[in-house]
Amino acid sequence: MEDDAAAIHVIKSLSSEDDTDTGSCCPICLGPTLQPSYLDKCFHKFCFNCILRWTKVVASKHRSQPSSVKCPLCKTENFSIIHGVDGSCFQRHYVNEDFEYSFTLSRAHRYRLQCYYTEQGFLDDVFNISHYWKSRKYCQPNSWLQSWLRREIQALIQEEDVDIIVYHIFGVMNASLTKREQKSHMNAPEKVQEEFKTSVSEAARPFLGARTERFVYEIQLFLASGLNIEAYDAVYIQRLGWSSPGVNTQISDNELIDRTTVIPYIAKS
Amino acid sequence: MQASRARLFKEYKEVQREKSADPDIQLVCDDSNIFKWTALIKGPSETPFEGGVFQLAFSVPEQYPLQPPQVRFLTKIFHPNVHFKTGEICLDILKNAWSPAWTLQSVCRAIIALMAHPEPDSPLNCDSGNLLRSGDVRGYQSMARMYTRLAAMPKKG
Repeated sequence: MEDDAAAIHVIKSLSSEDDTDTGSCCPICLGPTLQPSYLDKCFHKFCFNCILRWTKVVASKHRSQPSSVKCPLCKTENFSIIHGVDGSCFQRHYVNEDFEYSFTLSRAHRYRLQCYYTEQGFLDDVFNISHYWKSRKYCQPNSWLQSWLRREIQALIQEEDVDIIVYHIFGVMNASLTKREQKSHMNAPEKVQEEFKTSVSEAARPFLGARTERFVYEIQLFLASGLNIEAYDAVYIQRLGWSSPGVNTQISDNELIDRTTVIPYIAKS
Repeated sequence: MQASRARLFKEYKEVQREKSADPDIQLVCDDSNIFKWTALIKGPSETPFEGGVFQLAFSVPEQYPLQPPQVRFLTKIFHPNVHFKTGEICLDILKNAWSPAWTLQSVCRAIIALMAHPEPDSPLNCDSGNLLRSGDVRGYQSMARMYTRLAAMPKKG
């Protein structure tokens, strides 16, 4: 709560400075830009609520929901509003998507995404991955894995509906581990681990691209921890802190709260 | 505070601050109602409106700037895109082409531009439009100049 208050204070102090500088004003409300948002083609900047309201006004004039909105400043056709930019991630609101059904990354999602911008291996002293393989812990099923995978993939590709990808990767993992189970006594743990990494990487790469390697590492880290999601997050947060590496975590979280409270009002008007 | 009110106060502040920035436009807000404004604009030079001062009345809707302001000429003007009796203005940016980035000040500028560049193909004043469409520029200009003298210039003597 104290952090929130501090963040609000920062926003306010920034706002009053901006007030005199018309360059950073939102062209719609002419006030300081709150929750700066950008149109995806021309990158003109507006308050999130201002440009969202305008998009809704434009949409209400059409019989069918339009998929684009012209920039109020330059008339370029734009298809989405980029918002919540905090240096490591952003959110995107498509013009033709209904806000109620749109997917907003939770704080936990955003936090997971930020973890991908940290140096790999700073938790190696807490969770021992090679010990996990050596002691054949992978023979025990992990009941939290599927939920963990879902959140991780949602955060990485910023989509809500990732079920197919989750089942696919989960299936590949299980197949890889159970196959090992049968003849695990013959294989060296390093070899089991390598084969696991290879098959999961192959399964995940089409969806996660360059983040695949780190993703596979994070899976192993989670499995090696033997913890449930809450406990695992707690360890991460304890080591990494909430605010690092993204500088604006507090403010962006504030924005999230702010936005969810404001939207119903727009929907009514 | 309503978004429209807040925005109009910003515009008011801006108008006060930049009073001398555009000598052709003088925007005044009603003392008791921020949604009512009047503007005095100078007829652009090298047009039949040169030397005239035209009064505009703004009525700003509650949804401003998501909805455009309603503007009409209070001063009689002979122009194809202005209704001769009501002063209603036919200008795309006041209808479909409105953008919330326009301000009352920039709307005034657009109206001055419209005075200099009439669109005879979408006339509200058919007599004026027909003169231009039939190529009688001289006829149009002398009619427009006459009404500028009659209605938009201080009476002599």
